[in-house]
Amino acid sequence: MPDRSNAAPGDGIQLVDTMLPDGEGLGMTAAALPVHAEQTDVALAVRGDGAAFERLYRAHVARVNALARWLLGGDDVEDAVQEVFIRVWEKLGTYSGDAAFGTWLHRVAVNHFLRRRERRSVDHGRTSEADQAMDSAAAPRATPVLRIAIERAVGQLPARARDVFVLHDMEGYKHEEIAGMLAIDPGTSRSQLHRARLLLRQQLTS
Amino acid sequence: MNQAMHSPWTERLSPYLDGELTDVERVALEGHLAECAACRAALDDITRIVSLAPAYQGSAPARDLWPEIAAGIDRSREIAFPPAKPAAHPRRQFSLGHLLAASVAFAVIGAGAAWLAGREPASLAAGSPAVEPAVVAVSASAKADAAYDQAVLDLASVLAQGRGRLDTATVRVIEDNLAIIDRAIAEARAAIAKDPANGYLNSQVAANRRRKLDLLRRAADAVTASAS
Repeated sequence: MPDRSNAAPGDGIQLVDTMLPDGEGLGMTAAALPVHAEQTDVALAVRGDGAAFERLYRAHVARVNALARWLLGGDDVEDAVQEVFIRVWEKLGTYSGDAAFGTWLHRVAVNHFLRRRERRSVDHGRTSEADQAMDSAAAPRATPVLRIAIERAVGQLPARARDVFVLHDMEGYKHEEIAGMLAIDPGTSRSQLHRARLLLRQQLTS
Repeated sequence: MNQAMHSPWTERLSPYLDGELTDVERVALEGHLAECAACRAALDDITRIVSLAPAYQGSAPARDLWPEIAAGIDRSREIAFPPAKPAAHPRRQFSLGHLLAASVAFAVIGAGAAWLAGREPASLAAGSPAVEPAVVAVSASAKADAAYDQAVLDLASVLAQGRGRLDTATVRVIEDNLAIIDRAIAEARAAIAKDPANGYLNSQVAANRRRKLDLLRRAADAVTASAS
């Protein structure tokens, strides 16, 4: 990594240092259960333990809610989040344990949100990219400032760039997978990702 | 210098991070980065955004959605028992209509599992919207299996000790249903032995184990309630 010790002050770099600390204040500290406890709860939930499933819900709902807001938006985010967890409950028998539970859960959520979005676009006609901006005013008031900043920044990305950034950088999908999910070319996925990262950087330093 | 003057270089920072530049492009960019603090800072920022993105925890919904989710989970269960009520009589009696309906459901599950064992996996996905394609087998850890087995033993013990407090017809239906579930699990496992990768059968075993545990819990709750 090139040395930036001669960076000029006042050009936005110091603001980035402030806006992007090492993870504290951005909701980066894991609210999730310790791994061992989560594995136990998953095993219990597979066998029908509702209390264990509720613990899993509380550990993962924030991230699933953010995914819903970014990928789906609109007034049906809460309904979609509820549907995901009910669907996860029903599909617990298919969880093999090969991937982390959160990874598996997020994949179920992403697939559900994209299918729901597709159904919505079929029912209501294709919306323009401008119409798909997230309602950032719905962000919880009690959320720390930095969490609002990153959530709003992602929410204000153009729709396609936001989709690719969320799927690639947040959820870990490969460009070839994203291309299939969004019906675009892998090259388009790459260019949209690069666009998203630059725009995020601009928003977070502005 | 402002951002716009660096636009051609800035546009290459993200592809550079992902290793997508050609050797010629990479060398040219690295030469520029050695001389440009602004672009180095931009690369640092993008790198940090990418590194922090996977760990972003999100923000919870404005209200607790669990009550609706719990209600949805209850609706999705195949057996619907009435909630346990304080004992008005010395012996508890489940609604036989509920239990008989459950026994029919269990019989269908058991028969279906065996029937499906003889079919090609591909046919499961076609024309069956309730079946997910390419499901994988449940591979519970040995620890989780032990926990399940212990839970079943504990609940069965409660039922055995308190069966005298339940109506004989209720006890018979509970035992018949448990036998049906165990038979369905055994049939599915026999089918899995012939087709280990059949995800549907594996999911049925897991689902029926869940039902058994649920039935035992309900019965144990009724025994406990009748003692109060």
